[in-house]
Amino acid sequence: MEIVPTPAQEADSGEAPRRSFAARHRDKLLGILAVVLFFAAWQAIFLVVPFNKLFISKPDLIVLGLIDLIKSGALLRDLAVSAIPFICGMALATVVGVALGIVMGWRRRVGLALDPLMTVFYASPLVALSPLIVVYFGVGFGAKILIIFFLSVFPFIFNAYAGVRAVDPLLINVVRSMGGREIDLYLKVLMPSVLPYIVAGARIAIGRALIGVLVGEFFAASEGIGYAIARFGDLYALDKMFACILVIMVIAVAMTEGIRWAERTAFPWRAQ
Amino acid sequence: MQPYIQGRNVNLTFRPPNRGPVRALQNFDIDVNEGEFLSIVGPSGCGKSTFLNVILGLIRPDSGDIRLRGSPISGPSTDRAMVFQDFGLLPWRTVQANVELGLELKGMAADARRKVSQPLIEMIGLAGFEGHFPHELSGGMKQRVGLARALATDPSVLLMDEPFAALDAQTRDLMQVELLRVWQQDKKTVLFVTHQIEEAIYLSDRVMVMTKRPGRAKKIFPIDLPRPRDYEMRVTPEFNELKLQIWNELKDEITV
Repeated sequence: MEIVPTPAQEADSGEAPRRSFAARHRDKLLGILAVVLFFAAWQAIFLVVPFNKLFISKPDLIVLGLIDLIKSGALLRDLAVSAIPFICGMALATVVGVALGIVMGWRRRVGLALDPLMTVFYASPLVALSPLIVVYFGVGFGAKILIIFFLSVFPFIFNAYAGVRAVDPLLINVVRSMGGREIDLYLKVLMPSVLPYIVAGARIAIGRALIGVLVGEFFAASEGIGYAIARFGDLYALDKMFACILVIMVIAVAMTEGIRWAERTAFPWRAQ
Repeated sequence: MQPYIQGRNVNLTFRPPNRGPVRALQNFDIDVNEGEFLSIVGPSGCGKSTFLNVILGLIRPDSGDIRLRGSPISGPSTDRAMVFQDFGLLPWRTVQANVELGLELKGMAADARRKVSQPLIEMIGLAGFEGHFPHELSGGMKQRVGLARALATDPSVLLMDEPFAALDAQTRDLMQVELLRVWQQDKKTVLFVTHQIEEAIYLSDRVMVMTKRPGRAKKIFPIDLPRPRDYEMRVTPEFNELKLQIWNELKDEITV
């Protein structure tokens, strides 16, 4: 008897090979259109409403301010200053958060003990404690890292925790039944199960870490992009303030989308 | 002659937290001959799967003696392999990497693994699917991979825990034919747990009926139907007579 296996998923079935650019990218174009319309409306509203640059800015002035910041090199300098605590804080949050989350998931009692406490911390507005951190640690690098760390560590903890709990016990038994040792369980089952959760956690953590950078620099800095935003605000240089905010926005979107792309590329085994 | 697998007075009680103890096996005796295909049928929760896990070495019985080729079973080993009901494929591994899992755990080098896995993948009809991930496969294909993975370490005992229960009826029929074809090639000792009497008769040299929990061997039916067997055999009077006898033995154990 001949048994012919059939793939569960058929390849994309007979879709028309040539469609217009607009048709192929319609979903994305809709999103871009909304962004363009938003800025157009922002620009246009001052044709009706009187414009006062002490209270608000508008896209054309923001673009000019941005060009100015780029030309003078101030933007790049501020970004470079902010990048270091961002990277250090995120790195620390990744290591501590993943380790703690895995222990909470692997040791049931540790998980039961720490889950409520961590939930309370995660849900609380830790940003409000930033001035205290400045009081304790002074203005500068250490305080910035701590603020970034506290804001971004919890997505790592909770995602690693959830990842470990989602490990299929059947797969543990499979590896054990084939003579797998403890280390094999970690490397061949636990790690690959948890990794996608950790990367998803990083996606959430990035947004929070960026807030940490800004807040840290509002309170605890004399340089950096967050400090620049605060200073331009104080100086009523709203075009430059908005330009900095715009840059942060673009960075946040780029990093988040970058991780999304990495998730699709690194974990092809996950059903879409 | 000493039986290939011998269980004597095997007792096992589960003590789950927050609940009372559950007696899974009580004075369980079993003899399995070398190269024999033995099926075990019994009511749900009678300890059939537990017993397979005991042979596999994942669960230790509380008391009793369980031996393979005369030596007591003390833990997992590559001379026994299990095919699991829910396949147990590692979703992040391709077909090939799943088939090679046991070899990898033994520390075999990649090219040597490939020499073992490739013929197996061809045998189960999945040539061309080596790089596919489990989520891209149908249920029947997944269980072929499960079977190839179990065979890769060339175990002398194949344990099958309701391997086709998650498949639809037609796929199941085809997989039974496929399993017999594979088994016919080197006649490994097979312990096959199922709920389906017809499946048990069609595949086996002997069918063991277990009592309800705590499980014991109730009666063993020799299946003296000629091999190789084909699908038509299922409609012969002999086949149906066996089906009726086994059902009569089993039905008293089942409570709805």
